[in-house]
Formats: sequence, structure tokens, C-alpha cells
Amino acid sequence: MLSGLQTTVSWSDVSGGDGDGGQNKSTLPWDVDHFDDQSAILSSKLRQHQITGSAGGRAPASALKSLQLPRGLGSTGESGLFPNDNIDDSNFKSPMGDNSSIQNLFHGFTGSLTSNQTPQFRHLPAQTFGSPGAAAAAVMNQVQAASVSAGGGGGGAPSQPRQRVRARRGQATDPHSIAERLRRERIAERMKALQELVPNANKTDKASMLDEIIDYVKFLQLQVKVLSMSRLGGAAAGAIAPGGAEGGGRTGRSSNGTVSSSNNNDTMMVTENQVVKLMEEDMGSAMQYLQGKGLCLMPISLATAISTATCHPSSSRNNHPLGSAGGGEGGGPSSPNMSVLTVQSANGVSVKDSP
Amino acid sequence: MNLCQQNANSKEAKMHNSCQLEKEFINKWVQGLQICNSSSKKMNLLERKKKIKLSADIAIASAKNLTTSWSKAIISEATKDEQNMTLVKNVCGPESKFMYAHQKVTSHKRTTSKKILKKCYGVHRKMKKMEPCRGSNLATCIAKRLVKKRTQVLKRLVPGGELMDEYSVIKEALDYILSLKVQVDVMKNLVNVTTSLS
Repeated sequence: MLSGLQTTVSWSDVSGGDGDGGQNKSTLPWDVDHFDDQSAILSSKLRQHQITGSAGGRAPASALKSLQLPRGLGSTGESGLFPNDNIDDSNFKSPMGDNSSIQNLFHGFTGSLTSNQTPQFRHLPAQTFGSPGAAAAAVMNQVQAASVSAGGGGGGAPSQPRQRVRARRGQATDPHSIAERLRRERIAERMKALQELVPNANKTDKASMLDEIIDYVKFLQLQVKVLSMSRLGGAAAGAIAPGGAEGGGRTGRSSNGTVSSSNNNDTMMVTENQVVKLMEEDMGSAMQYLQGKGLCLMPISLATAISTATCHPSSSRNNHPLGSAGGGEGGGPSSPNMSVLTVQSANGVSVKDSP
Repeated sequence: MNLCQQNANSKEAKMHNSCQLEKEFINKWVQGLQICNSSSKKMNLLERKKKIKLSADIAIASAKNLTTSWSKAIISEATKDEQNMTLVKNVCGPESKFMYAHQKVTSHKRTTSKKILKKCYGVHRKMKKMEPCRGSNLATCIAKRLVKKRTQVLKRLVPGGELMDEYSVIKEALDYILSLKVQVDVMKNLVNVTTSLS
């Protein structure tokens, strides 16, 4: 494929040097030699781009820059040196679009050089999709076969409308488009790093990745809240400050129970509702995370059994969330009370890690 | 190939970092809890939970040595309340870090006023957005809007997120998730230990 590219470059040499070239030299206002240099540069850039792969935003950016050079050179002599600026704009739409534009430029090069008629430049890109098209298409095949075959160099709309809008605006001022591309790259990098952290993050779509991240952050925050409210409450305070008001861990816990039971109904409802609201938004994923983290939800009957076994006065309020949680859950009544209660009162069963 | 190596290295580095982070977090948290407990007032469950959570948050934030933006946000928010000052001071350490935390508060005000201004112009921007949405661009517009909504939600979730642009929010979220994990792990272990001790 690259050899094919070489041939297109050498075409210009040939046509420039030979019979046609003679006439062309008189009619064409620019240097054919210049052309060769530029096309050599472009071909090397293109090769570099293809080696680094189409994902790299920088290569097309630099290719874009290099494309600007010849344009600048050509503009002094002939505005029609390249395909129309309009056409160019429509082609410089995306990182992918750059390739089609490079390709069209080559068409323009070779086409213009092989033809004798200078004023017909504007028609060239459409007309010369014969052999140069084939050669360049072979080169461009990896990157965007679709747009090549879609033909119409002028109207070649790349199939990525999203980047099209951005690149179009960026086209006006180059550093902006490059900065934009750089920014997007960095974001993609970060997203990849986040993919490793967040479970279930095999989504390629940015929006759903963000969704997962949001759910996960909410879930972790909920976990922290629940944990700080659980047995940990009495236990931590008790175990860590034995000389404190709580006494030992055990007394801490029992005092926790007695203290909480009086205020339990009022204060717990608030937290429950808050927690339930969070869970009800994304119940499915919350369930998944719970199970993944080794937290379990248990049927109401079991929870009540456990809590009555440990003799807690607050145990009677162990209700369970919606039965939408996978199999084995007790058909919970629709009261919005939470497994938080089981965490608190049922000896921390829900919080234990599964081995 | 290089990417794989990088990933492996970063994973190891992350694990090492998180171990270190855990240690620091535990130390600071214990400190904070002791301070909380020293107040002889008897707290009910909710207050206790809040205190614990607060001390945990401050601990994890200070364990980061205020290198990240979200930790600064947490500390600055905690310092707003006079009650927490002693806790924050003792857990965090030297005074110099406080000055920074206070600065963050004032910048927050500036950004909120900017946001109000933006909202005034928000209507115009919405109208502008509607215009280029035709045909093939419609999907793009919808996708962009979805992403934008979600980044807004994420900004609200991550502490201090509203003050940052999209790119840094993602970076901060990364860090925040890591430290939340550390918090949760430590807490779980503590629960297990204390329940098994009883």
C-alpha cells in the first residue's frame, strides 16, 4: 500500500518532468520541484500516521499542519491549486476526515499534474477518481474505506458527525483544534484508568462510562455512611477509647442499643429514606455492587430471627427492600425500610465479607 | 506492549500507594475518633454516625496531604463549622495548610457567582444548541447533552467538583474513588475485628 503511495508521488515526478510537464511548467505557476518535496513530506507524515494508528490524535494533527503548508505555498500562485477550500473544509472534519482530506489532496496533486488545464482545478477532485483514486484508496483503506468508496471527494462526509462539528470549528484556528484533540485524548486516557477501578466498566461509550462511575461513587459513599452508622458506631468508639464514656466495646454496643432505641424511630426514618432514595434510583446496579462487595441482603424472616436472637429492642423494625433483588429474598413489603437496619441491629451480618 | 507494562506497573504502584494510604488513614482516623470521644456529651446514633463519618472524611483527606483538590474541598467545608475546628486542627497538623483551605472557600464564592451569570445566559446557549441540531447532527447533540448531564452529576458527587472543569473532575473522581475504597476497606475490617472480638 505504501508502495502504491510512492507511485503516486513518482507520478508527479514523471508527469512533471516529461512531455506534459513541459507544458505544465509553462502554465503552472508553482514549482513542480516544490511539489515533490511537499508530497514527499506528506507521504512520510502519512506513513508515520499509519504506523501510529488512527487513534493517535497527534499524527493527524501534524499531518494537518503539514497540509497547511502546501496550501499556503499554493495560495500565492493559484487559489485552485488544491481542491476548493470549501471542499477541504468539508473534508477536514475529523481525525478520520483528515485522512480523506489528505487523500483528496493527493488526488488534487496527481490529478492537477496529469491534466493540462489549469482553470479546471475545481473539477479535478471529482474527475480524477480513476487510477489515482485506486492507488490512494489502497493506502487509505485501513483508515477509512467507507469515505473513499463513498467517492465524492468534495462531498465526502466522514461517518463521524460528532468530531465533524468540532474539527470544523477548529479548522479556523489551528492551535485550538490541536488543543481540543489533545484534551480529548487526555480525557480518554483518564477514562481508561477509571475503567480499571470501576467494576463493570467495559463500556466503550463515554456516557455510559460516566454512568457507571457515578453509580460507583454513590455506592461507595453510601457504604461509608452505612458502615459508620453500623456496629462500628459503638464498637469503634468503644474499642478505641476504653477510658471514655462508653467503657468497653461490649458496653459501648449495648449503650448504643439503648440510646438508639429511644430516638430510633425518628432519626432512623430520616436516614432510611435518604438511603432508600439513593438505592431506588439504581436498584439493579446497587444490588450488584452489594453482592460484589460481600454485603448480602437477607430475607426478613432470617433477619428477624437473628435480631430476636440477639435480643435487640429495635429488631422489630427489620423490613426489607423491594423484592426486585434476585432470588431468595423474602417478598418484602413495600415499606421503604432498608437493609441498613439489618446492618445496625443484626450483629453486622450484612457487613461481613464473603470469603 | 508498552501500554501493558505501564498498566502493570501502575497497578502495583496503586496497591503500594493504597497500603500506605490505609495506614495513614487509620492513624489519623483513630486520632480523630479519640478527639471526638473526648467530648463527654452523649450522642445518639445519628450524631455518632455523623461524627464518625466526618472524622473519617477528614482523616482520609488529610492523609492525602492536601495534594488533591477534593481533599482540600472536604477540609475547607469542614472548617466552615466552628465545632469541627479542633478536630480538623489536630488531625491535619500544621497551620499552613489551613490558610490554603480557607482560600478555597473564597474562590468558591467567585465561582458560584460566575455560575449564576452563566445561568442567565444559559437560555441563549440552549437556543443556539438547538439550531445546529438537524439530521445527522441530532444524534451528536443528544449524545453531547447526555454526557454533559452526567458530568454535572459527577461534579456534584465529588467533593469540590463544581469548581473544576470536566477534565479535572474525572481526574479527581479517580482519586476519590481510590480513597473511598480505602475508607470502606478499613471500616469493614474494623467492624469484623470488633465483632469477632466480642
